[in-house]
Amino acid sequence: MVFYGRGEPVIALEKVDMHVAAGRFAAIIGPSGCGKSTLLRLAADVIQPFAGTVALGSESPRAARHDHALGFVFQSPTLLPWRTVRQNVELPLDIVGRKSMRRSASSPLELLELVGLKGFENALPHELSGGMQQRAAIARALVLRPDVLLLDEPFGALDEITRQRMNLELLRIWAESGTTALLVTHSIAEAVFMSDQVHIMSPRPGRIISVIDVPLPRPRRLDMMRTSVFFDCVNRVRDGLFDHEPAPREAVPERIEPY
Amino acid sequence: MAAGIHAVHDRLSAIWRPLASVAVLIAAAEAAKWAGLLPVFVPAPSQVAAEIINNPRLVYGSLGPTAWKAGVGYCISAVIALSAASIAVLVRVLYAPVYNLGVMLHAMPIIATAPLLALWLGTGPQVQIAIAALASQFPMLVGTMQGLQATDARQRELMYVLSATRAQTLRYLLVPSALPYLFAGFKIAAPSAVLGAITAEWAGADRGVGAMMLYALFSYDTPKVWLAVLLTCILAGSGYGLWALIERLAIHWNRDIELGE
Repeated sequence: MVFYGRGEPVIALEKVDMHVAAGRFAAIIGPSGCGKSTLLRLAADVIQPFAGTVALGSESPRAARHDHALGFVFQSPTLLPWRTVRQNVELPLDIVGRKSMRRSASSPLELLELVGLKGFENALPHELSGGMQQRAAIARALVLRPDVLLLDEPFGALDEITRQRMNLELLRIWAESGTTALLVTHSIAEAVFMSDQVHIMSPRPGRIISVIDVPLPRPRRLDMMRTSVFFDCVNRVRDGLFDHEPAPREAVPERIEPY
Repeated sequence: MAAGIHAVHDRLSAIWRPLASVAVLIAAAEAAKWAGLLPVFVPAPSQVAAEIINNPRLVYGSLGPTAWKAGVGYCISAVIALSAASIAVLVRVLYAPVYNLGVMLHAMPIIATAPLLALWLGTGPQVQIAIAALASQFPMLVGTMQGLQATDARQRELMYVLSATRAQTLRYLLVPSALPYLFAGFKIAAPSAVLGAITAEWAGADRGVGAMMLYALFSYDTPKVWLAVLLTCILAGSGYGLWALIERLAIHWNRDIELGE
């Protein structure tokens, strides 16, 4: 993937080879600007690869998008401010509409209950908190029962407490929906806690440098964050993130000559 | 229940407070006039009111022609501004030319161009209609241009990922997000159309608020001049108020859009 901006073209992604098994939860982690969002946008057909291919099952991202087999959750909730929460969740149904009702859709009201927004169906987005807005966005992404759920730092803007709660809820919703999920994040703990596999990326050019399997059982619970398995995975992800960097020159303390 | 009473009370006070301040101002002007504090060319409010009562036919005989000429000019201008702005947003090459043309037309001095247009178009209502259209085009043009670009990249990406058709993107995203800007532009343009029509009437019209104003000026009939000013305010204000009302009914999610670039 090459971007042509001002000046030199930037190679955003190079030699990315990753595979996510159907129905699993995978995370992509890396520092800012390593191309993790670019990778997600490739999978969503928002941008097209310069070389190489992306396949979702047997489909190309374009076919999957036209098939409404993709659910995308953005960094910001991106709700339409003139639609109520329920109408926002129903937006994908309006768009698929009479065009094809091939895909069985979930009931918006059930989904709203699932994400804990029962009673807020008729509220407008600006009347909700950031966390509630993002939950509505997740419900919207799930309403067409997507085969693949793409999450681009969905909780990046939330505080730590809300974030953990949302993580648990997302896992519960994901387990019920049975979709394959791909989460982009820059939180090590979040990546390990949520996923079956953590893909570690390094920047300039963006590439996947290692894959860490997370052997924690499902359903995940918050107290698992205290287990040695969790810490071990966190440490391995951290090592993966920082190992390849040119180690700061071995800090050889200058010898101070005693006078 | 108490909340309901409070709401009614709030609404009432929103009405009676401005009314009361207007009444106080009118009473003060009246008293100042009779105390001899105001110059001769400022009549007492009661003198202006007497003009209305003595000659109601003059009032609606002037309001009517000006209102319809301003209205027709405004509608023509709205259609042209909407189409020009949509084309400019769709065809990027035309964006700057359309915008610049709008600025230039807006910068033209109406008072100088009205007689020239009268030579060209004749002295019928067409001059006033044309000037009303010219005077009101700019806010509508800018409002539409800004409104059609008011979506953010994420929202467009959302529509793309949902593989919405162009028509669906227009209906579900572009039009609703443009509406606040459209209303802002259309609201500001309404008084401009009225003022344009009245200014154009100075260049030759047998009827209308502008004509009435001119006749009254030449015959030193100051109460009638002030009546014409009052009628202008009422007409321009109700044009604005009408759009403000439509906006209030149509937009419930977001208000207070400011135009500017």
